[in-house]
Amino acid sequence: MIFSSIKLLFVVLHYSVVLPRMSSKAHSSNNIAHARRTVQQLRIEASLERIKVSKASADLMNYCSAHARNDPLLMGIPTSDNPFKDKKPCTIL
Amino acid sequence: MACQGLQSGETLASLKKESDSLKKKLEEERGKLNDIELHQVAEKVEMLGALSIKTKRLLKGHGNKVLCMDWCKDKRRLVSSSQDGKVIVWDAFTLNKEHGVTLPCTWVMACAYAPSGCAVACGGLDNKCSVFPLSLDKNENLSAKKKAVAMHTNYVSGCTFTNSDMQLLTSSGDGTCALWDVESGQLLQSFHGHTADVLSLDLAPSETGNTFVSGGSDKKANVWDMRSGQNIQSFESHESDINCVKYYPSGDAFASASDDSTCRFYDLRADREVAVYQKDSVIFGASTVDFSLSGRLLFAGYNDYTINVWDVLKGTRVSVLFGHENRVSRVRVSPDGTALCSASWDNTLRIWA
Repeated sequence: MIFSSIKLLFVVLHYSVVLPRMSSKAHSSNNIAHARRTVQQLRIEASLERIKVSKASADLMNYCSAHARNDPLLMGIPTSDNPFKDKKPCTIL
Repeated sequence: MACQGLQSGETLASLKKESDSLKKKLEEERGKLNDIELHQVAEKVEMLGALSIKTKRLLKGHGNKVLCMDWCKDKRRLVSSSQDGKVIVWDAFTLNKEHGVTLPCTWVMACAYAPSGCAVACGGLDNKCSVFPLSLDKNENLSAKKKAVAMHTNYVSGCTFTNSDMQLLTSSGDGTCALWDVESGQLLQSFHGHTADVLSLDLAPSETGNTFVSGGSDKKANVWDMRSGQNIQSFESHESDINCVKYYPSGDAFASASDDSTCRFYDLRADREVAVYQKDSVIFGASTVDFSLSGRLLFAGYNDYTINVWDVLKGTRVSVLFGHENRVSRVRVSPDGTALCSASWDNTLRIWA
């Protein structure tokens, strides 16, 4: 009877010491998983091949000038060609 | 999997150290390529003449704030959605209201026209994005044919069809974006990485492949690979929520509008911000942006009821469009570039040309 109650005491003590450690282990493994994801993401971003801003800017400018004459809002188009410019009076059917 | 052990030599501290050093390396690499500013290169470009853009149509019919709109590929129809749950399909030439649906939820924040022109998608506070086929029969009850496709755990902030009517891409207040199969409602891919509400997304122009950009309350703009779900690039330079993101027509860059009252321009190949569109007199948040057809003009709608037109290359403001009597929630250039449509909290939409 005494031995079984001592055994019970040992079991209780065992879990009271082990459980808090288990939950902090789970907590820290979440932090680690998050940190690992962050590192993996940064590795991907760091491995990107980049070009200079001067080159990127030149390409943007070329695109704009190549398409400028086809840009109605930029150039303005004759009233006769734009369906929106031509405002007809409303007719109620 | 929950309690995965540490790999040899790896500790939380060593991971943190590596992440810090990678961040520093990223900054250095991006900095090395910043040999000149875009507006300096653009000094040799001709100044723009005065623009003659005025309101040509006023679309009245919504009973409450208009939150979103999208053009149909036919360049004349558009769909709009509002705070009172109404979704209306208009013919912008004639001002005719062709279809109207009332959703059971309020704040329909997102709506999109299908590429075929035969359906529209919309969603908002109901945490869903539903697709409605557009019937030629005016008497048909569209609500009955509604199909809920996307299911999020928070509000839907943006939606767009991909290159066909078959797939829908959504962004949500739950911090994720998702790709759905319209027919089955199946989730095809989800995109995790934002640490707060995702407020906007835009699909890359079809020539550039399967990517899209998203912007959120975490002040970040992320570029994603649609097939793998991978976040391939990330930009963090805004000082507040990013309300809207839009690709430059070539697909090599994108613009963003933010509560910090600036709009910014990011080049994807240089992997950095290349322009900031701001003015001391512009102090209200920007909620929406879109480019003109050539990419030279950036139209941005603000909470001070105006639309500022910026010279994308030179960084200067070209024009201000006045007319709306409340916040501008959305601006979109028509597919052929002939007109700009703006939606506002003043319950109307305007067509500018």
